[in-house]
Amino acid sequence: MPPEPAIVVQNLGYAYPQGRMALQEVSFTLQEGESVGLVGPNGAGKTSLFLCLAGVLPRKTGQIRVANLDPADPVQRRQLPAHIGVVFQDSDDQLFNATVFDDVAFGPLNLGLPADEVRQRVVEALERVALRGFEERVPFHLSGGEKRRVALAGILAMRPHILLLDEPSTHLDPRGRRELIQLIQSLAVTRLIAAHDLELILETCQRCLLLDGGRLLADGPVHTVLADAALMEKHGLEVPYSLR
Amino acid sequence: MTLAFAQLPCPDSPLRRLDPRWKLAALLGAMVAVLLLRTLPTVASALLGAGVLALLARLPRRWYWLRLSALALVLVPFALPLPFLLPEPAGGVPLLQIGGLTLSHNGLHAALLLVGKSVALLTLALVLLATAPLDATLKAAHALHVPGVLIQLCLLTYRYIFVFVGELSRLRLALRLRGYRNRMSGHCYRTIGHVTGTLLVRSHERGERVAQAMRCRGFTGTFHSLTDFRTRPRDVVFALVVVTTAMALVGWDLSQR
Repeated sequence: MPPEPAIVVQNLGYAYPQGRMALQEVSFTLQEGESVGLVGPNGAGKTSLFLCLAGVLPRKTGQIRVANLDPADPVQRRQLPAHIGVVFQDSDDQLFNATVFDDVAFGPLNLGLPADEVRQRVVEALERVALRGFEERVPFHLSGGEKRRVALAGILAMRPHILLLDEPSTHLDPRGRRELIQLIQSLAVTRLIAAHDLELILETCQRCLLLDGGRLLADGPVHTVLADAALMEKHGLEVPYSLR
Repeated sequence: MTLAFAQLPCPDSPLRRLDPRWKLAALLGAMVAVLLLRTLPTVASALLGAGVLALLARLPRRWYWLRLSALALVLVPFALPLPFLLPEPAGGVPLLQIGGLTLSHNGLHAALLLVGKSVALLTLALVLLATAPLDATLKAAHALHVPGVLIQLCLLTYRYIFVFVGELSRLRLALRLRGYRNRMSGHCYRTIGHVTGTLLVRSHERGERVAQAMRCRGFTGTFHSLTDFRTRPRDVVFALVVVTTAMALVGWDLSQR
């Protein structure tokens, strides 16, 4: 029997509280272990899609299955954080504790894990992002790259097998971006990466989804979608330099 | 970074090494005792005790004096007129009379009490704040059964006040770069209103995003924390000395009334 897909989305619709549709008839499937890029102009609905998948925003229409769980079901939604991790675009939104240790421990504590395991997970996650020794640091005093890595450590400590990364390379210098790409590539999880940094998508993903105006307009191999100059221009994007 | 939002110093000291739970309980007890005092000798003794604790805590002098100065700014408008506003009791002789102004014993007593108690309370609060990171003090409060919601609220406020101040600084810089200067004009008042509104909207939006990030990581409203608090003999001795002294001062105060 083939394994269950990691994410199944069928005819997803989501409307902002003001009534405007943010997502309309979005359908796609992510297989376990796939790395998929999500591109589109500002306001395309990428972040809304992530929050719908994480069960934070309620869908208006359609069906979603994430790790075989339904985010609309309150009981199943409570199990989602153990399976799916979201790294937000602005790390300051995600680092809400007074110390790095507390922040990385936040998720595992919410999972109800014993104290020793929480400590072990924090150590492992900080090692994974090369930030051992930062435990007592205050998030406010970290650089943009360090904040991004702490945010990722906070998610890795929960050991999700699906990772949603929203604009992961924003505010990173070239070295920080390179380290992040290497880190993403080393993670053996299902990944959905939303980014304007199309070179990052090219390096880390095999498949690409194009979202604009809340609709999914393309779904195919990353080199095919990103090399389509007419499609990219029509939707406010550009063919990456490495494909020109 | 403004004075109010500067990081807490937390220098190494005998008080820094105490268990935050015992320290918090003892110093809160001492603060309540200071609030109850009504006679000058006991307030002077409390001030002395708070000073000893400040020395033991090795509070950075400049940091401490800056905060005392801020308190003085608040106190002076109240404490200075008191000796001239409060009358002597019937038949009492005023301390001094200059023209139409009468300096009364009662008023001077009240002013000295107000200043002495305020300085003692501020010193105790600063000792509490500067001898442990704020998150440790708040976790200690949680361990002492202060509701988790309050603790979470304080921690989030402490964390995001810096982000808020950073945003305000960027907005002020953007205004200056476009030629804005504070003046007494309608344009300036409107601009200040717009900046305040922008900050409020941005804070609200950030609050929404933070809440979403918390929910993504399994937060359901219950505050959890990992703490390594351990009670040692010196914690108990410190708490006993502080609480006993505070109770003795209250007893002495009651006997003097």
